[in-house]
Amino acid sequence: MTRWKKLLLFLSVMGPGIITANIDNDASGITTYSVAGARFGYELLWTLIPTTVALVVVQEMIARMGVVTGKGLSDLIRENYGVKTTFFMMLGLLVANFGNTVANLAGWAASMEILGLSKYVMVPIGALCIWILVTKGSYRFVEKILLVACLLYIGYVISGIMAKPDWVPVLKSTFIPKVRWDSEYMMLSIAIIGTTITPWMQFYLQSSIAEKGIKKEQYRASRLDVIIGCSITDIISFFIIVTCGAMLFPHGLRVNEASEAALALKPLAGEYAYLIFSLSLANASLLGAIIVPLATAYYICEAMGWEAGVNKTFKEAPQFMWIYTMTIALSSVVILVPGAPLVFLMVLSAVINGLLLPFVLVYALLLVNNRKLMGEYVNAKAYNYISWGTVSSIVVLTGLLIVTTLWPG
Amino acid sequence: MPFFGEVFSSEIIKKPVLDPKGEDLGRVKDMVVIKGDPLPRVAALIIEKKKKSFYLPWTELNIFNKKIMASRAYIENLEQYEPKEDDLLIVRDILDKQIVDANGAKVVRVNDVKLEGYNGNAVLIAVDVGMRGILRRLGVERGGEDFLKLFKKTLPFSLISWDYLQPLEPKLTSISLTVPRQMLSELHPADIADIISSVSQKDGTSIFNNLDIETAAEALSELKPEMQADIISSMTTEKAADIIEEMPPDEAADILSDLPTDKAKEILESIEKEDAEDIQELLGHEEDTAGGLMTNEYIAYSPDMTVQEALERFKAEAKEVETVYYIYVLDKEEKLVGVISLREVLLAEKDCILADMMETSLKTVAPGEDEMIVAELISKYNLLALPVVDEEGYMHGVITVDDVVDMLLPPTAKRKRRKV
Repeated sequence: MTRWKKLLLFLSVMGPGIITANIDNDASGITTYSVAGARFGYELLWTLIPTTVALVVVQEMIARMGVVTGKGLSDLIRENYGVKTTFFMMLGLLVANFGNTVANLAGWAASMEILGLSKYVMVPIGALCIWILVTKGSYRFVEKILLVACLLYIGYVISGIMAKPDWVPVLKSTFIPKVRWDSEYMMLSIAIIGTTITPWMQFYLQSSIAEKGIKKEQYRASRLDVIIGCSITDIISFFIIVTCGAMLFPHGLRVNEASEAALALKPLAGEYAYLIFSLSLANASLLGAIIVPLATAYYICEAMGWEAGVNKTFKEAPQFMWIYTMTIALSSVVILVPGAPLVFLMVLSAVINGLLLPFVLVYALLLVNNRKLMGEYVNAKAYNYISWGTVSSIVVLTGLLIVTTLWPG
Repeated sequence: MPFFGEVFSSEIIKKPVLDPKGEDLGRVKDMVVIKGDPLPRVAALIIEKKKKSFYLPWTELNIFNKKIMASRAYIENLEQYEPKEDDLLIVRDILDKQIVDANGAKVVRVNDVKLEGYNGNAVLIAVDVGMRGILRRLGVERGGEDFLKLFKKTLPFSLISWDYLQPLEPKLTSISLTVPRQMLSELHPADIADIISSVSQKDGTSIFNNLDIETAAEALSELKPEMQADIISSMTTEKAADIIEEMPPDEAADILSDLPTDKAKEILESIEKEDAEDIQELLGHEEDTAGGLMTNEYIAYSPDMTVQEALERFKAEAKEVETVYYIYVLDKEEKLVGVISLREVLLAEKDCILADMMETSLKTVAPGEDEMIVAELISKYNLLALPVVDEEGYMHGVITVDDVVDMLLPPTAKRKRRKV
């Protein structure tokens, strides 16, 4: 195959991996990185490397399953583990993802507020736009919009460079791990992994690969898509931490929210850095608000056996479209109604996500090793050690994250 | 082993099977299905005991129902079962599988499998694809019913008859429908009738209760008379009246005549007066005579009417009438004097008078004529409808070709259409 043909093949398969990995940096992800940078400077940068490796290991298996079976993850779980397992998993994911959608729309609302726009105007507009995009758009069109939105993450890279960090300590902390036995330090490093690997993205990745109809022969290109996506994600995370580490940490400014970080940047890094940071937050939040409800709609419909897909109309896939619509509509209401229990929802969603992740990953591992489904594409023996090792570490770390979420301090 | 009644696979799976001494033989793990006529049947149960699987042939079963399962054999007499790829197993191969339509679009998933006793065998009669099946699998079917009762709703039975699924083969990843992309409610009423007659009466009634009135009325007229009566009498009078009202009067009368007199009277009283009178009139005739077959809805005009006037009235009236292809011409005393086909009226000059164009040599039958004679007449003269006229020349109604077509079909074709 010529180089051009290879490139073309990659471009045709590219999408699901890059989009899924990028949405990882949604509102809650960006908050975690901002808080980490502001609190500990560059010290937590090294955690990004193991996080990237873990992300690649997990996403690659999921992508492989999508390519080989042509089915979504919840399709496979339902067909192999029955109604009960699937039902409770879906119920949990529905609640958790509702919380995630609320978090993303809240991120959108906050970034609009700091730009001086009322959330009562911008939340309905944002919600309407993403609703129209998916319900009226085709998969190819939606994918293009999402890929463009992923490009906008470059804003964080720019703001990182504009922050003019001292690159020697930055690189040093990235490649030389440093563990501090400090509860806040431990919690943040766990949170970085916890926000990066979530249950819903496994479902979204596999479904979007299945919907795209990528064939076994194109699997290598699909794998490249996943690896590039995961790397980009963590490069973005890297720059968010660097921005906050360079600008906020030396002044001892603590932040709790990504939007607070953007506001704090204004006097220190100047109008442009602040603008770019807030716009990138707005972009990431809106992107998350598309993908998370979309993932929810995908896996519930797959599990129940209903038609699903962005390409379908309301008439062809009514349940799919209604789940998507209702998740966005209800989340917008929760944001706009004063006194809605936002914090409670966030904590609940984080805890449920953490509780479900071990199940999702273990089922995924068992399925990917099922010869009946995967044929010759099962994990190689050596690779199984790596993947089981990765999954068990993720499981232990998310367990710790739940504990620290429920009993902070 | 005789098996009567019906049972869902989820009510059997994981339940204990007893040996002749009443000791625990093991728990049902799966069921082996083989091809059968007319429907696939259960050939054996796979029993699990202490992590080992055993093959319990259907013939070794002594009692089989959802409460008790007992075998004639002891565990020592059973063969160990090694899972084979070529076997078709209910849990492994059918449950939870995707059902796709002929174009491969996802429709529903198999939530449960319904078995029914047929010639002593347990045959696979339908798959449950609804919420009820999921709740049953979760063990909360009753709870779900009670919950919905709070909102005055019932849990629908969503069963797809086995007839509508492609023949099952081992190693399937999805199951195809043989009917095109249509959900149950979108099926033709005649197909719904087929499904209803293949599920038990209780389920049939539930399926019925969930159809809209119009579809229900159409589906009901496709069912066998006993089935019609069963379903109507198990409904509330109000709902039954709504459905009956929607049907052509001749079919409504047929159903009411099969009901107990009290129930029929009750329903008639809840129907709009005009419709009720039509039906009452038809009820006076013997069922297998021309009078019993006829409907009293037809188009009839006076001989001095112009084509223009006739067409205007036709547009206003034809909607409510079953057969409109003939326009009957009645004189002032309501006696039949002629007939004109719809085609002739449409092609005629607007100012032409009906009396000038009508056919006056008429084919008619008397109300007491046998139904076979009626069928022969319709067949012989290639008619779409035949007027029923008494000795004095008064018109009572018409018999349409669809009311007699079943009598004209050769017996096998008829059986195929109404397969039970």
